[in-house]
Amino acid sequence: MISLLKVEKVTVKYGVIPAVRELELEVGRGQIVALLGANGAGKTTTLKTIVGVLRPARGRIFYDGKDITSLPAPQRVRLGIALVPEGRGIFNRLTVRENLLLGAYHRRDQGGVLQDLEEVYRLFPRLKERENQIAGTLSGGEQQMLAIGRGLMSRPRLMLLDEPSLGLAPLVVRELYTLIRRIRESGVTILLVEQSAPMAIGVADYVYVLETGMVKIAGTPREVESLEEVKKVYLGG
Amino acid sequence: MFSLSYFLQQSMNGVILGCIYALLALGMTVVYGILRLINFAHGALITLGAFFMYFVFFRLGLPFVAALFLVLGFGGVMGLVLDLVAYRKLRGGPEVALLITSLGFYTFIENLTKLIVSPQPYAFKTPEFLATLYRTPYLTFRTVDVFIILSSLLIMLAFHLFVKRTKLGIAMRATAENLEIANLMGIEVNRVISVAFVLGSAIAAFTGFLWGAKYGQISYDMGFLTGVKAFVAVVVGGVGSIPGAMLGGFVLGLAEVLSIAVLPTRFAEYRDGIVFAILILVLLIRPSGIMGIREEVRV
Repeated sequence: MISLLKVEKVTVKYGVIPAVRELELEVGRGQIVALLGANGAGKTTTLKTIVGVLRPARGRIFYDGKDITSLPAPQRVRLGIALVPEGRGIFNRLTVRENLLLGAYHRRDQGGVLQDLEEVYRLFPRLKERENQIAGTLSGGEQQMLAIGRGLMSRPRLMLLDEPSLGLAPLVVRELYTLIRRIRESGVTILLVEQSAPMAIGVADYVYVLETGMVKIAGTPREVESLEEVKKVYLGG
Repeated sequence: MFSLSYFLQQSMNGVILGCIYALLALGMTVVYGILRLINFAHGALITLGAFFMYFVFFRLGLPFVAALFLVLGFGGVMGLVLDLVAYRKLRGGPEVALLITSLGFYTFIENLTKLIVSPQPYAFKTPEFLATLYRTPYLTFRTVDVFIILSSLLIMLAFHLFVKRTKLGIAMRATAENLEIANLMGIEVNRVISVAFVLGSAIAAFTGFLWGAKYGQISYDMGFLTGVKAFVAVVVGGVGSIPGAMLGGFVLGLAEVLSIAVLPTRFAEYRDGIVFAILILVLLIRPSGIMGIREEVRV
């Protein structure tokens, strides 16, 4: 397996308190990797470190074979890493279209951007309808679609999704996961963070379970599903 | 009673003062929107701009248009210097540190100006071609009045188009709403902030010239109260709203001039007090300002 992302013994601290300790994680090209764990396990911290908002105290991060540990966030976006933040993180006061265009902020190919905008609108006809509406007025599901659409506008090679199903109705979550599969089929590698495990395990090629900032369990979905503690804690049985 | 022409005359004066406040408020609201910084130093830029114009236009005798562009450029450079020297190092620190720094830089610039020019006000002649007087039955005005109103509207329109239509402008609004997410979009936040300072300061320096040309006098301390009032305009219009800042400027300018015009002469010295009374009144009725967006709690 050629890995697109490799996190090597990364420790991230808030002040003196480590939120993530000696984390090892690998995402292969074209894979969907799920990162599970309870609240406060360090999932979001991990994503923020990968995208460059947080700096690790120790350890290194490799992307596409290159060490990106000290690269600032905007430059990582340029390399094709896109984070779809938790709670959507869209710009509420901007229009849908403006949000999407900002996803492509670093790109210089005007034509390509507009083409991708049409592509996103094809994927989410609702967004096309609401193109000039202020994003803050969209429903929760639409906002999530917008956040993902905005992520796609950067033409990412690696997409980090932080709890995309949070606060969405079950039907919308199902739609969302169909979409995640389609995005992977289009060649984008995905690292998916979720608290609700069954759907995530369902689409994943590989699963990590974090606990208090450390990898507790790692394995293929089948391996992970069969573990008693995973069943008990994450699969509700 | 007051005649119609008296009322029109004073309204025009109010609109002109409003233009000045609105232009200053523009730069302040953008910086405040992103950094939560009440940039007192912004007021110093009108002083600097006014004296700079005085020297390049009256003393050096450069052509008017060239002098104007020099003033704009000078203001922009000063804005960039302020951002780099005064504020950049403080990013991520407490907001109060920024506030104190801006007061400090205002005081520094004011005193430096006093030292270099003079503690005495300078007479600022209106450039000759702007001094032509027109009398109509209802209104008496000079070319400079028209110039101020038109150039202000032009700048506001250009600024509006900038933030609405250009990529950088959209990025600026995005940064004002959520700096961290903007960073995640690949927006170089520091660059956006510098641009905000440069544009706002260029406009402020230009406003310094307008002030001088209209009121005929410039002084080292002209920027303080003007800057504070411009911030009042920001708050009255609605913090974080660019159209609000402009509206707030006009509301303030008109209210200030008209209240003085209507009240007996002995109230004239209360004009600054009236401005702040308006602030208090607006905040009592609409705490988020006329066009304000309710602030979300920042976690």
